[in-house]
Amino acid sequence: MTQKNINPLIELRDVVKNYQSEAGVFPALKNVNLNIERGEFLGIIGKSGAGKSTLLNMFTGVDGLTSGEVIVHANGESVSLHSLSENDLALWRGRTMGVIYQSFQLLPMLTLAQNVMMPMDMSDLYHPRKSRERALELLDMVELSEHAHKLPSLISGGQQQRVAIARALANDPPVIVADEPTGSLDSITADHIFKLFEQLVQSGRTIIMVTHDKGLMPRFSRHVEIVDGELFDNDSFPMKGKARMGEDRK
Amino acid sequence: MRPRWRKVLSDLIDNKARTLLVVLSIAVGVFAIGVIAGAYVIISDDMSISYAANNPANIELRMDDFDEDFLNTIRKFDGIKEAEARRVFNIRARPLGETQWTSIDVVTIEDFEENEVNLLTPVSGKEVPLKNEILLEQDVLEKMDAAPGDTLEIQLRDNSIKTVYVAGVVQDSSTGAVDFLAPPLAYISTDTLRLFDQTELFNRIYATVETGQDDDNHISVVLSALKEKIEKNDYEVGRTFRSLTHQHPLETTINAVLGILMALGVLIVFLSSSLIANTLNALLNQHLRHIGVMKLIGGRDKIIFKMYLVLLVAFGFLALLIAVPAGGQGAYGLAQFIATKMGFSLLGYRIVPIALIIQIAVGLLVPLVAGFVPVINGSRVTVQKAISGDLAGESSEQAEGGANRESRFEAIQFEATRILADRGIRIKRPLLISLRNTFRRRGRLILTLFTLTMGGATFISVFNVRVTLHEYVESVGNYFLADVTLDFDTPYRVNEIEQFAMQDPRVTYVEGWTFSGADILSIDGTTADNVSILAPPAESVLVEPLMVSGRWVQAGDEKKLTISEGIFDLYPDLQAGDYLPLKVNGKEESWEVVGIFKFINMEGILGYAPYEYISRDQNMANLSFSYRIVTEQHDRAYQEMMAEDLDAYFRDHGFHVQEATPGLATLDSAAESLDILISFLLIMALLTAVVGSMGLAGTMSMNVLERTREIGIMRAIGATDTRIITMVLVEGLLIGVISFILGIFLAVPFTYGLSWIVSTAIFETPIAVVFTPMGYAIWAGLVIVLSTLASVLPARSAARLTIREVLAYE
Ligand SMILES: Nc1ncnc2c1ncn2[C@@H]1O[C@H](COP(=O)(O)OP(=O)(O)OP(=O)(O)O)[C@@H](O)[C@H]1O
Ligand SMILES: [Mg+2]
Repeated sequence: MTQKNINPLIELRDVVKNYQSEAGVFPALKNVNLNIERGEFLGIIGKSGAGKSTLLNMFTGVDGLTSGEVIVHANGESVSLHSLSENDLALWRGRTMGVIYQSFQLLPMLTLAQNVMMPMDMSDLYHPRKSRERALELLDMVELSEHAHKLPSLISGGQQQRVAIARALANDPPVIVADEPTGSLDSITADHIFKLFEQLVQSGRTIIMVTHDKGLMPRFSRHVEIVDGELFDNDSFPMKGKARMGEDRK
Repeated sequence: MRPRWRKVLSDLIDNKARTLLVVLSIAVGVFAIGVIAGAYVIISDDMSISYAANNPANIELRMDDFDEDFLNTIRKFDGIKEAEARRVFNIRARPLGETQWTSIDVVTIEDFEENEVNLLTPVSGKEVPLKNEILLEQDVLEKMDAAPGDTLEIQLRDNSIKTVYVAGVVQDSSTGAVDFLAPPLAYISTDTLRLFDQTELFNRIYATVETGQDDDNHISVVLSALKEKIEKNDYEVGRTFRSLTHQHPLETTINAVLGILMALGVLIVFLSSSLIANTLNALLNQHLRHIGVMKLIGGRDKIIFKMYLVLLVAFGFLALLIAVPAGGQGAYGLAQFIATKMGFSLLGYRIVPIALIIQIAVGLLVPLVAGFVPVINGSRVTVQKAISGDLAGESSEQAEGGANRESRFEAIQFEATRILADRGIRIKRPLLISLRNTFRRRGRLILTLFTLTMGGATFISVFNVRVTLHEYVESVGNYFLADVTLDFDTPYRVNEIEQFAMQDPRVTYVEGWTFSGADILSIDGTTADNVSILAPPAESVLVEPLMVSGRWVQAGDEKKLTISEGIFDLYPDLQAGDYLPLKVNGKEESWEVVGIFKFINMEGILGYAPYEYISRDQNMANLSFSYRIVTEQHDRAYQEMMAEDLDAYFRDHGFHVQEATPGLATLDSAAESLDILISFLLIMALLTAVVGSMGLAGTMSMNVLERTREIGIMRAIGATDTRIITMVLVEGLLIGVISFILGIFLAVPFTYGLSWIVSTAIFETPIAVVFTPMGYAIWAGLVIVLSTLASVLPARSAARLTIREVLAYE
């Protein structure tokens, strides 16, 4: 418990990611170091192909790394992600992280409510009856309770993304990771989603969000820029203060 | 319901067509296995039980006339349990008003009510014939059209005609079974003997032994002792037969059928496994993304495996629901078919537990094993790859190092196209797309080709084996080259018969033959078997033997014979030039075996010795009972006509004709039992072909399903229905053609293997393999039809997709 206050939430230490392809080795992340504190709303900004998604996949453990280490201190334990097996990682991720993709990734054969219940079912953290109630609450929070029993193909893209957010919150994880969550949405809907994120940060969660939209910069509590696999942590100092304030509120 | 189970249920019921495809691909194999395993068990159980139920005689003696008193002494003989006497004689019969005569052996049974050996099974009408009534064995009905209540005309030796009434039809699985070439049977009571001018004495004994009813050695010992005793009483014994109580005499043929069924079963298990693997692989590849999403949100391997376990078991269970009842019915149907052909009855419909167990095992285990490969592969793919979308199709194969091969293949294709283009041959673009598509999923293509090629190779081999068998039987026909065989009741001078026969201008050649029989003695001096010795003139042109070793008979041979390969059962090391201990006319003699020839062993051991010696030995020099006649033409119809004409002609001139048989008659009955086998082989071929094309149909619909998005894009850029249908059809046909080419080669070892199984089972000797283009031609046509059929439905459903559906497709 004491560790929690000393260590940052996520530490990236000398992370290198090379892609192997026919054309040869492509360095997508070049020796990246980054600490993320609790309660931050961190923006990762960069042009297309800069390595944003690659970096995000390092936090979630969804993809392997070439060298370096990613350590997450959450739920009272410190975990070096890439030393876990796929299997343990899946369970850990289900309980610790909510992941949101640009392309929603809902299961097409399940209703919205069932999609939201799925992480709770997978992690066995909630009793089935409790998980149903919780799923409906979360859908209510994203203003979709009236569609709860529809299939994903029958609702709009913005609505699907809100379901994905509800699903990401299902196990009440301390961290939310989102890869261009507003990328395929119109600006009004995107704004709506963004507001939802701001509420979540206020309620004490840590959110890491990837975007290529520099206009969103001021709305993050901190942002880093990535260019050709290298990280530029320009204004990390002023941001740190804000992050601490966020933590104090909790 | 928990969301995970909800997902499994949806996977099962949302896409009914796809579920049906998977379930059917499992069910086809499970059904076939059920039919085969069930039929196998029913036949092998019921054959011996139903045969034994008629209490077949272990010993049959054909001998001089004897009476009731003599029979009683046999009954008291040590080791004999039951003994019954029969009088068996040959007549010709025809239904009143018909012209065609049928040769029949009439069996006289002393007391139908007290009958204990070689029991008759009633088929229709009465079971006991009264005076001047007759019961027909059901085989008679294959030769003539008669039913209970009909009147038959009977022609006796002196050409007088009598009439009898058909009282009923029976089945006799024992009496006729030992002598494959004997005419069909009919039964009368002793009251009717007088009508046929027969004395009320017996000429055959049918007996069972007290112990060791299934021990051929024991039966043989009892038989030798009995025969010795009878001969001491100055009765002469002709041929003797032994049979085991629980062994159907056609067991070797039936075992050949069962052996083929077994081979077929194993083949089908393989084929259907690969079909199931293929279908499930394609289905589960589409699930890769789902697996990725579940892992993303916390799904552990255990949960995901459990979900797919339930899905796969559900597929298997649904398939069993269809395949188990259908397979049970099919098994009994097939067993019934074989039983009717082979002349025994079944004990009734039943579920065969072992067949059921095999079905359940295959229906559940094969989908599990086949399905878990893609599931495990799927769970190995990182979430990143699974979710990034475009992977669902190819990248799982590329991940296994396929990337390089793919590009090499492309390079070859590009090069080939360029070379063709240089020569002015342009491959059309849509054809090129089909070509590319065919080779895109290499694993699936290989499995599909495997099933279809196995089916094709089996199909082709069956036709080759069919010709091989017929060729062999035909070569055996070289022992029966005459057009008409004329048998008399009394011997006549060879010159006399020759002169009479040649009066008919259509007769070109006549030979008088004679016969003898001998016991083959084993080393300890007991009788081991009989040999029927045929004695044609040494210079006979009517035998063209297939020699295994040694030479054919010569005019000067005395106490020398050639013998059929069947002798190897008794003397495995016998060679030409060795001496064989025989008992001829009650005297022990040592004969030199001058040669060994091939013959159908089913007919027992056969020998040849020159007429010149045998007739002298029998004090019948220049006399003969039996004549081989060559006529101007040699086709079946001509031979039948000549047999009839010669029969009438000799009777008219006062000769005692027993029978005139057209030359191919003996061959026909041998060919008949082969045809049963061949029809099985054909069923086998069709089954494998069906499983093979089911595999192709499955592959094609999976391919189309997977390429839904692609097809949508082609549509969006203006591809017409025809173009899309053609694209899919060409792909299916291409697979068919490739499998045909592979099948041509695979058929060679298949043909050798199959003909080895069949020939060693029936003829107890491997035979020369013959190839025929017929199987290749029929399969070429069939494979084109099948692969078109297999692709037509997927092609049409591909063309029916609208762009909107395609873009909404996950
Ligand atoms: N599987 C892969 N194999 C090879 N190279 C890859 C692979 N995935 C990504 N890359 C390369 O790595 C670089 C970074 O990719 P990444 O997906 O992280 O970019 P991004 O910043 O998320 O871009 P976008 O904004 O377009 O999503 C790109 O140049 C890409 O071409
Ligand atoms: Mg990206």
